[in-house]
Amino acid sequence: MTPKNVLNYSYYPGCSLHASGKEYDESTRELFKSLGIGLREVPEWLCCGATPAHNVDELLSLSLCAKNLELADGVEGDLAVACAACFSRLKTAQHKLEGNEEKKQQVEYALDAPLHLEKPVKHLLEILAKDYGLERLEEAVRKPLAGMKVACYYGCLLTRPPEVPELDCTEAPTIMERVIGAAGAEAVSWSHRLECCGANFTLSRPGVVLQLSGEILASARRAGAECIMVACPLCHANLDIRQKEIEEASGEIYNMPVFYMTQLLALAAGVSPSRLGLESMIVSPLGLLKEKQLI
Amino acid sequence: MSRIGVFVCHCGENISRTVDCERVAEAARKLTGVAYATDYKYMCSDPGQGLLKKAVAEHNLDGIVVAACSPRMHEKTFRKAANAAGLNPFLVEMANIREHCSWVHEDKEEATAKASEIVTMLVERVKMNKKLQPITVPVTKRALVIGGGIAGIQAALDIADAGHHVVLVEREPSIGGHMAQLSETFPTLDCSQCIMTPKMVDVANHPNITLHTYSEVESVDGYIGNFSITIRKKARSVDMDKCTGCGVCMAKCPQKKIPNSFDKNLGMRPAIYVPFPQAVPNTPVIDRENCTYFKSGKCGVCAKVCGPGAVDYAQEDQLVTEPVGAIVVATGFELYSIAEKPKGSMIKGYGEFGHGKIPDVIDGMTFERLASASGPTGGKILRPSDGKEPHSVVFLQCIGSRAREKGISYCSKICCMYTAKHTMLYHHKVHDGQAYVFFMDARTPGKGYDEFWRRSIEEENAVYIRGAVSRLYQKGDKIVVMGSDISLGIQVEIEADMVVLATAVQPRTGAELLAQKLGISYDKYNFYSEAHAKLRPVECATAGVYLAGACQGPKDIPDTVSQASAAAAKVMTLFARDELEREPIVAKVNDKFCVACFACRKVCPYGAVEEKEIRDRQGNLVKVVAYVNPGVCGGCGTCQATCPSKSVELDGYTDEQIMAQIESLG
Repeated sequence: MTPKNVLNYSYYPGCSLHASGKEYDESTRELFKSLGIGLREVPEWLCCGATPAHNVDELLSLSLCAKNLELADGVEGDLAVACAACFSRLKTAQHKLEGNEEKKQQVEYALDAPLHLEKPVKHLLEILAKDYGLERLEEAVRKPLAGMKVACYYGCLLTRPPEVPELDCTEAPTIMERVIGAAGAEAVSWSHRLECCGANFTLSRPGVVLQLSGEILASARRAGAECIMVACPLCHANLDIRQKEIEEASGEIYNMPVFYMTQLLALAAGVSPSRLGLESMIVSPLGLLKEKQLI
Repeated sequence: MSRIGVFVCHCGENISRTVDCERVAEAARKLTGVAYATDYKYMCSDPGQGLLKKAVAEHNLDGIVVAACSPRMHEKTFRKAANAAGLNPFLVEMANIREHCSWVHEDKEEATAKASEIVTMLVERVKMNKKLQPITVPVTKRALVIGGGIAGIQAALDIADAGHHVVLVEREPSIGGHMAQLSETFPTLDCSQCIMTPKMVDVANHPNITLHTYSEVESVDGYIGNFSITIRKKARSVDMDKCTGCGVCMAKCPQKKIPNSFDKNLGMRPAIYVPFPQAVPNTPVIDRENCTYFKSGKCGVCAKVCGPGAVDYAQEDQLVTEPVGAIVVATGFELYSIAEKPKGSMIKGYGEFGHGKIPDVIDGMTFERLASASGPTGGKILRPSDGKEPHSVVFLQCIGSRAREKGISYCSKICCMYTAKHTMLYHHKVHDGQAYVFFMDARTPGKGYDEFWRRSIEEENAVYIRGAVSRLYQKGDKIVVMGSDISLGIQVEIEADMVVLATAVQPRTGAELLAQKLGISYDKYNFYSEAHAKLRPVECATAGVYLAGACQGPKDIPDTVSQASAAAAKVMTLFARDELEREPIVAKVNDKFCVACFACRKVCPYGAVEEKEIRDRQGNLVKVVAYVNPGVCGGCGTCQATCPSKSVELDGYTDEQIMAQIESLG
C-alpha cells in the first residue's frame, strides 16, 4: 500500500458520544478500524459549548472551540468529527475567527495562548466520501445492505448555514445517499431530509418535537423507507427515543429504526453486530436486520 | 509660438469637490504657449460654451484644452463650439480631470496637483495637433434586424414603412418570439396572438422586408453605414419556393411524439413541423435530430405525400451576404431555469424546490401555454402530471430575481404584473379555484398597472402573502409549500395542486457570442449595454448598432415596442443623409519607410489595411506598401504600436505627441 493511502485522523467525539450517543462512538471506532483508517482521540478535549454557549455568550462559544482546535493541533491528522452539532460549532468558530482580528484577540486573551485554528475540521461523511472515497468504500463492503430502503436524514446543521460547513450543496445535498449507496442500500427520495427535528425543544417544549419529528417519520414512511439514518445524536434522540410518544400523540404506528450512519456502514463492512450498540436503540432494529439477513 | 486656451470645468461639485479648479487654471496660465486660462462652474452649458467661443475670438487661440469630463462625454460638444467660433474642431482636446481624477481621489491637494499635470500633458499634445477634415463615407440605406420577436418585428416594420429595406433574421423556424406564446396580456387582457399575428403577416408581406427565418448571423464585417453581414440559413429540408403550406406532410409524418418546445414541451409535434399554426412563414422544417429518415435512412413519407415536391432531404446550410448600414439587435430573453446548474456557473438553481423535478411545479411561460386558447390544453388550466384541474395554485414571485445568493440581483420587472394576470386568468377559468401569491413587493409602475394588480386581489379573489417560500415538496398528489408570512409573523404551509414560479428574465443563452461578433459590450449577466443609461438608451457604444427589447434588460411589451420604435427612429436618422461624416482620427502609412511586412494587417481589428503599389513615372512597380483605408479604419492605434519600422501613425496620437506628453511630466 502506498503511503498516501494510509489515512490518519485526530478524533473529537464530543459529549453526546460519551453518553446518550455512545453507540455512535463505538460504531465509528469499529468502522474506521475495519476500513484501516487511523483514529486518535484528542486528549483532554472539552465540550464544544453546543447550543447554550453560543446563545448566551459568543466569546465563550468561540473560546471553547478554539481551545479544542488547539488541543487537536497536537494530534496527527485532520480533525474527524461525528456529531453534527460539534462539527457545526467548530467550523463556525473557524469561519467567524478567520480574518476577524478583533475577535481573535479577544479569544487569545481568554485562552491566554496563541490561536491554532488551521486544522481542517471534517465530518465523517466527508472523510468517507472524499478522503477515503466511495470506490474504496464499495470494495470494503462484506455484507451489502441489499434491498434495505434507507431515508437519509441530514437535519439542520450538516449543510447549513450555506457558508460554513462546506460539506455538500446546502439545499439539495447527496453525500449521505452516495455513502449509503456505496454500502449497497437503497436511499429513498423523500421530502423531509433537511427539516428540523425540534432539536433542543425536546426538554423545554417536547410538544414541538413530537410534531416536527412526527412529520419526519411520516414523510420517511410515505417514501417507503424501512429505517432512518442520521449523523447527529440529538436528531437520533428525538426520532428514536421520542418515537413511542410520537406514536401515542399522532395515533400512527411507525416502528421505524433510527440508525447512526456508522452503524449501518460498519454492518456492511462486516463488523460483528454485537459491537455496534444495536441493543441500545429504543426502536429495535433486530427484526429489520434479520429480515434483510444482516444478522 | 502657440496660443492655447485652457478651460477648467467645476462640473457643479463633481470636480471642484476634490480639485481646486481656480488653482488648476492659474497654473495653466503659466505654461509656455498658453495664452488664456479660466475656470467655470459648467463648461458644457450654454454660457460655458459662450465663454470658449468668446475667448477664441478675443485671444486669437489656435488650440484648446478643456479640463473636464471624459472625451466620451463631451468632446463632441466642445469641438462643435470651437468649430462655430471658426477653429478647426480637431484642435480641441479634453483633459479628463473628472473620471480620471476627482471621482477617484479624496485628497484635495494631491488631486489638484494631478489635475494640473493632466492639463499640462494635454497642452503639450494639442500644440502638435493638426487641422483635420472630416472623412465622408456613403451610407448603405438597408438595415439588419436580429431577432423576430415583437421588438424586432416593430423595428423592422417602422424602418420598412419609412421606405428603407430591412433584413430580418430569426433563429427559429417562425417569427413571433415569446409574444406568440403568451395567452392574454396585461393590463388590458387582450389576446396576445390577436394583436401579434397581424404584425407577423405584415412582416411577411412587406415589400421592403427580406425575412430569413431558421437563420443566424454568422459574421459581421465593416462599420457604421457600411456593414457586411454573413447569414447562415440553416437547412430547412423544405424548399420555401415550392411549399404551399398545405400541412399534409405534418399530418402524415409517422413520428409524432416529439415534445414541442413552443408549448413548453406540454404538447407533441411531428418531426416535420411548424412551431404553431399561425407561424410565419407557414413553411415546415424537418427536425433532423428526430426525423426517422435522417436517423436511419428509412421512411421518406413526407417527400412521398408532398404534392408540389418541396421536401428536399439533400438541402444544405446556405451562407448569404447582406450589405447593410445599420443593425438593430432584438434577441430577447429566456427564463431562469431552477434546475441544477453546472459547477462554476454564476446561477445557482433551486435545490429547495427539488431542482425542478416536481412535475406540477411550472414556470410562468408554461402557465401561459396552459391558459392560451391555442395551447396544448385548448386554454383549460390542467396540471401537467395527471391532467386534472388544479383547485389551488400557489404563485411564487422573484424566483431567481432579486436573489443575490442565487446569482441575480436585479428585478425582472415583468413578473409582478404577469403573476397578477395569471391569478385572474386562473380565476376566470376555474371559478372555485384559489390562487395564492407569495411576493416580496408588488412593483407596478406603469399606466393602468397598479389598478390591474389591485383588481386581482379585490375582484378576482387572489390571496397575496408577503414572504418567501423555503421549500416545496411532493406529498401524495399535492405539493406542500412551506413559506413565511412576514406581515403576520407566522409560518405558512399550503397544500397546493400546482405551483407557478415567476422565474427571472435572463438574456438568451449565447447572447455574449453575438455581442462579440457585433463588437458591442454587455454586462455581467450578458445583457447588452446601451451607450448611456439615460441619454442614449437605444444606441450601443459601437456606432451603427442599436438595441431593442429585453436583450438590453427585462422589459414588458409596451416598453419593448417603445424602444423598438426608438431604435427604428435612430436608424432612420442615420439613413436621412446620403453620406456620413466620420472622425478623421485614422492611421496613415509613411510610404517611404514602410517595408511591407504587413504586421499591421495581422493586428488590425477592422480589416482596414490593404496593399498599395508604388510605381515610378514610367509605370514600373517600385514596391508594395501597406495602405490604411480611412473609411474602414477605426482609429484604435494598434498598427502604430505594432509597426516595427515606425512608419504608421494615428493622426492626433503620433509618437511625437505621446512623448511630448510624457516629457511634460518632468
